[in-house]
Amino acid sequence: MKPEFLPIWLVVFLPICGAIIQGLLGKMLLQSLGPKWGKRIMGTIAVLPVAIAFAIALNLTFLLAKETDRLAIIKVFDWIHFQSLSIPFELRVDTLSMTMTLIITGIGSLIHIFATGYMADEKDYTRFFTYLNLFVACMLVLVLGNNLGLLFIGWEGVGVCSYLLIGFWYKDTANSKAANKAFIVNRIGDFGLTLGMFYLVYLIAGNREVLGITDTRWLSYDNILPHAAEFFKQFPTETTIISLLLFVGAMGKSAQFPLYIWLPDAMAGPTPVSALIHAATMVTSGVVLMNRMSPIVSQSALAMSVIAITGAVTALLGAAIAFGQTDIKKVLAFSTVSQLGYMFIGCGVGAFSGGLFHVITHAFFKALLFLGAGSVIYAMAHNQDMRNYGNLNKWIKITFALMVCGFIGIAGVPYIGAGAFSKESILMAAVNDHATLGVFGSTLTWGALAGWIGFLVAAMTAFYMTRMMLLTFFSGPERWLTIDPVHAHAGHDDHEHEHHHAHTHHGEDKHAFFYTEAEMADIDAKTEHEHHHDLDSHHKPKEVPMVMWLPLIPLALGSLGFLGFWLENNELLHNWLYPVHGEAHEEVAHAISHQMGLIISFVVSLGGIIGAFLVYFKKLPESEGWNFSKWNPIRRGALVQFGVDAVLADGSVRTGDIFGRAMKWFDENIIDGIVRGVGNVAGLLGGLLKQPQTGKVRSYAFLMLMGAAGMIAYIAYIINSRGGGN
Amino acid sequence: MLNQVSLLAQAPPADVPLGWYLYLSVAMFCIGAVGVLVRRNPVVLFMCIELMLNAVNLSFLAFARYLPGLPVTLAVEDAATASTGGQIMVIFVMAVAAAEVAVGLGIIMAIFRQKNEVDVDDMSTLRG
Amino acid sequence: MNSGQIVFLILAFIAVMGALGVVGFGDKPVWSALCLVLNIFVLAFIYFTMGAQFIGITQIMVYAGAIMVLFLFVIMILKLGSREKEFKSNSWVAILGIAFSVVIVAAIGKWCLTPFMENTPLVFRNDPKLFGPPQTIGMEMFSRYVWPFEIASILLTIGIVGSILLAKRRI
Repeated sequence: MKPEFLPIWLVVFLPICGAIIQGLLGKMLLQSLGPKWGKRIMGTIAVLPVAIAFAIALNLTFLLAKETDRLAIIKVFDWIHFQSLSIPFELRVDTLSMTMTLIITGIGSLIHIFATGYMADEKDYTRFFTYLNLFVACMLVLVLGNNLGLLFIGWEGVGVCSYLLIGFWYKDTANSKAANKAFIVNRIGDFGLTLGMFYLVYLIAGNREVLGITDTRWLSYDNILPHAAEFFKQFPTETTIISLLLFVGAMGKSAQFPLYIWLPDAMAGPTPVSALIHAATMVTSGVVLMNRMSPIVSQSALAMSVIAITGAVTALLGAAIAFGQTDIKKVLAFSTVSQLGYMFIGCGVGAFSGGLFHVITHAFFKALLFLGAGSVIYAMAHNQDMRNYGNLNKWIKITFALMVCGFIGIAGVPYIGAGAFSKESILMAAVNDHATLGVFGSTLTWGALAGWIGFLVAAMTAFYMTRMMLLTFFSGPERWLTIDPVHAHAGHDDHEHEHHHAHTHHGEDKHAFFYTEAEMADIDAKTEHEHHHDLDSHHKPKEVPMVMWLPLIPLALGSLGFLGFWLENNELLHNWLYPVHGEAHEEVAHAISHQMGLIISFVVSLGGIIGAFLVYFKKLPESEGWNFSKWNPIRRGALVQFGVDAVLADGSVRTGDIFGRAMKWFDENIIDGIVRGVGNVAGLLGGLLKQPQTGKVRSYAFLMLMGAAGMIAYIAYIINSRGGGN
Repeated sequence: MLNQVSLLAQAPPADVPLGWYLYLSVAMFCIGAVGVLVRRNPVVLFMCIELMLNAVNLSFLAFARYLPGLPVTLAVEDAATASTGGQIMVIFVMAVAAAEVAVGLGIIMAIFRQKNEVDVDDMSTLRG
Repeated sequence: MNSGQIVFLILAFIAVMGALGVVGFGDKPVWSALCLVLNIFVLAFIYFTMGAQFIGITQIMVYAGAIMVLFLFVIMILKLGSREKEFKSNSWVAILGIAFSVVIVAAIGKWCLTPFMENTPLVFRNDPKLFGPPQTIGMEMFSRYVWPFEIASILLTIGIVGSILLAKRRI
């Protein structure tokens, strides 16, 4: 226990405190502080825990860098402790966890600041930040926990918070359904995770001496991981099974195919939620799990192949679907799915640090893109359909500049965008990979195949991201000026903001979500509150307030090349993380050299960008307009995710229905049948036994005679056998 | 016992062996039993019961007569007393039979007044 | 085969025939009753041949003279005569019963009666002629068996009371 690292518990504790304070006292404080100061103070209370946590984490990271073994374990309190098993609440300060903590608290605090501006109209302001702080706390427990038990707590906790936040505007049933879907699909993944964990613990518990575990903390990483590699080499089947089960858990959380279907629906939540949870942090918990368990997972070539190819399929599918989306948030959602696929390609080919590298860069540019999209939506009266945008670069210049930085990050032009560095490190490792199995026995490994698919997806990424940027900020005259009111409604996000005529189309205000007319007028008199209205031809987009674009600047800086360059330089990140993985890195023959890879990346990204420019720069093409019949059939398929979502959702519901019916039949006929059968048997027995009671004298006489005759015969037999006559 | 043995030595053999009486008794008893099962007229049922009682009387008497000479050891100090006991038994059986017939036929007459027809099978109200 | 045995056999044959007649006459209860009377008389004669004179006379007087008269009275008062065949529904019971009886007779005969089939000597205390006469029975009855005697008389009284009650029209 190194006492200088003790403040780490504050990092976890502060967001919990924030959540509790805002949860219990928030509404009361908000009302008592009045409309002008209430939201500002509550907002500060919301942001402060996360910001302070970031400061502490930064300090501790520097301390950690000076340590030689780069590991510190702080026990906060004893949680489970009985005879032979001990699962304390202990936090692990090592390179992987501090990296993730910096991202979570750093980007998290920036998003918190943004959200104070974005959610300013909300009546349930404090509820939102309660959930958001709670989420940060759970995520920190997940990455900082030193044992599998804490990992699981954090895992489930972020699932719950995700559910709460997606369904934040729960009055609209569609949002609740989306939240349900997210949670349920997550649970399917958790099923695999739990099974994997149990199997792992079972193996560990049975082999404690071999693994060198001396105390009773079986689940702790410092007990499992040091000798895990040689130990698990001896159990190939078990290792494969465990790795695949853990990967199922990662699939659920990190939206891999086929468990990605919840992520697009999760866009029903507020945009800061999408940015924090579904771009930067929660969806990366799968990658964190893979990194933690890397000594075990890397022992099984089969599991690695499965991970790599699943990542590739996810990346490809996400990119393909993004082509057909017209909602700006949906494009970003599928882009997230696609980039998550990249991370798992990295994990699958053994480049675990590459996967984490992409997590870091992706957190920056995706959060930036989401928040920027949030700003655009805010400026366009909460309308999300890109077909209503156009030429916005003239209207919202700051947002435009920030979005361009984010775009550069993701499009992956080498040396300019940060995303390129991480993507390149993954893809180079992939195409040179020898860790996975061969594709049906050929010399091309699954990892290499995944790598080539990754290059193709890089081109697609560049293309659809450019499409999105152009449709929003360029491509002809402002399309909303000639708007058809029906179309205005089509892309309307479900933001329950309070303005006068919103009451009508949000249904009856049974739970007093909205300010009434009188309250609204009151607030307007006290503040300079702007009236919201639907997007119509008179709309003039205004730039978002400073509290919303200021936090995006650090994110923009991170998305540009500096961060990537710094981390990639001399494999800084790789060496930083290496104490986690502790494996030697051999030089193997490369299929393609570094320079070749660089050239391919250039060609691919620039090709995508230029291609999109050619199509979308001037105007919105007819083949993507309001008239669906003019759409390319493939594009129309992309709009509905090529049917994957429908098949999975309907299929699972129907399977559940069939299963339920089968159980009902079983219960009614077999179980109840047994119960009734018992009764019937009693009845039958009674019926049988009442046969002699005929009421007729003669039958009684007959029975008596039979009985008497039997007795006499018996006695006679005895007499005879004993010699008779005596 | 000494008495018995010496008497035994002097006694002449009987005409009819004991077993014949007993055979007759058993045969009559069985015929009476079959009659009880088969007949539906209650009066005739009674008569079959009387038949059975008669059979039993016969067997009592047969044993009473032959008892002192039977090669069995009895816990009775006087075999002659036992044989007289057998005849007493027959008298009592007859007395009881008489009383029983009186009451039974009274019952049948009472039933006949209700139904005007007697059939044993109809009297099955105690059916379970 | 001496004379005693021949007499016994003839009497036994008639007794069995009478018994069969009691059971067998389905639609003529009077004939059944008369067969029973015949049976009783024959049994009395058998008692006489055994040397039990008192019992034989008692049998004729009580059974044939009182009980059977009662039976015949009842049969004639009630005009009992079955209108339909009495054995219609009973055939399997009858066959079963007959078979059963035959088996019982044979079984008991074989197992129990074989030792009794050879000649057994007659032994009496002082006088072989003391088996039958009323004096012997009287001496026993009023000394040894006086209690059963009294109770039997109570029983007969009960029987009288009961039958009077049953025979009344209205209680």
